[in-house]
Amino acid sequence: MTMDPTEIQARARRRLAMDRRARKEPRYLRVIGRYVSAGLLEANHPVAEHAEPITVEDVLYVGRLEPRVLELLPAALIKTPRMFVIPKALPADLKAVVNSLRQSKEPADFRGVKGAKLLSWLSRIGRKNKLPSRLKSFRLQAEEQRLLERVSQRLQLSETDVVRKALRELAAKELLADKK
Amino acid sequence: MIRRIAEVLDAWVTQTNLEAQAEGMRRLPPCHIRVLGQMALLEAGSRLSLLATNDVDVYADYEYPIEVEFKRLLSLEGKELDPVGHEIWMPRETEYVHLFKGRFIRLSVADSDAVLISKAARAPDKNRSLLTEYLAGGASQRFLSLATKYKVDLERFL
Repeated sequence: MTMDPTEIQARARRRLAMDRRARKEPRYLRVIGRYVSAGLLEANHPVAEHAEPITVEDVLYVGRLEPRVLELLPAALIKTPRMFVIPKALPADLKAVVNSLRQSKEPADFRGVKGAKLLSWLSRIGRKNKLPSRLKSFRLQAEEQRLLERVSQRLQLSETDVVRKALRELAAKELLADKK
Repeated sequence: MIRRIAEVLDAWVTQTNLEAQAEGMRRLPPCHIRVLGQMALLEAGSRLSLLATNDVDVYADYEYPIEVEFKRLLSLEGKELDPVGHEIWMPRETEYVHLFKGRFIRLSVADSDAVLISKAARAPDKNRSLLTEYLAGGASQRFLSLATKYKVDLERFL
């Protein structure tokens, strides 16, 4: 591949002119302004911050020019949903990614962004290190319910946290036992 | 920003080592933190229009306690150390420009040509508009040589 540097520059300038026109579009300005305002992106040039919610459709459109907004979108939909006007039905590929992330599973690649990268943002935006939780229901007998309430009061933890703590301690004990 | 963090980190390691010495404990060895990616371009004062996420990619040979403190200092500035930042590919020809040299911490940033080649070779779609802007401003001879060597398809940025 040998191209004349002057030709490269001339063609790049034409493409850059197109990019610059796209960057002046209101939806580009809204989306980038919202991401910067939310602290998800940082720029080395002036960006008019935008505080109002943005549409997912606009983000997907702007993502063709600035894929970083796509990289952050699925995790942001879960962790900072107020940033967006969320439609009743998300596009199928985005919905599948969001569903995977809600279960803390690595999703499929999304519009050129690796699944592992999409997952890595989940604990790094919004409330840090807080991952989505899922509802699981169990039936307890009255005596077990009373026991749970007593332990919860004694440890000053919520009943959910008591179950979490007990589960971790049991798992640690069992895993250690396996290693011995 | 990153230079100031390196200064504070160096002071922390110095203090930690003084305490360790007084207690007869092992001291933390000196280390070198090399900044990559968008942060390297920002720190180098690039004139390109940059949009960066809040993660910081580095190659570093520090020990775990230094990494933990580095992460903490970054988080105070709203930055996150990318857990897989060390997996970034950089060309062998990368030059690292020194930003700070303390008693225990050495901080440098990857040169812009190498960062842009890394982006063009490994994440061309994500960095398409950035590379277009760079090429429109007139690419350096070094960048073009590296692009040829690493078989970077410049067509996709034009």
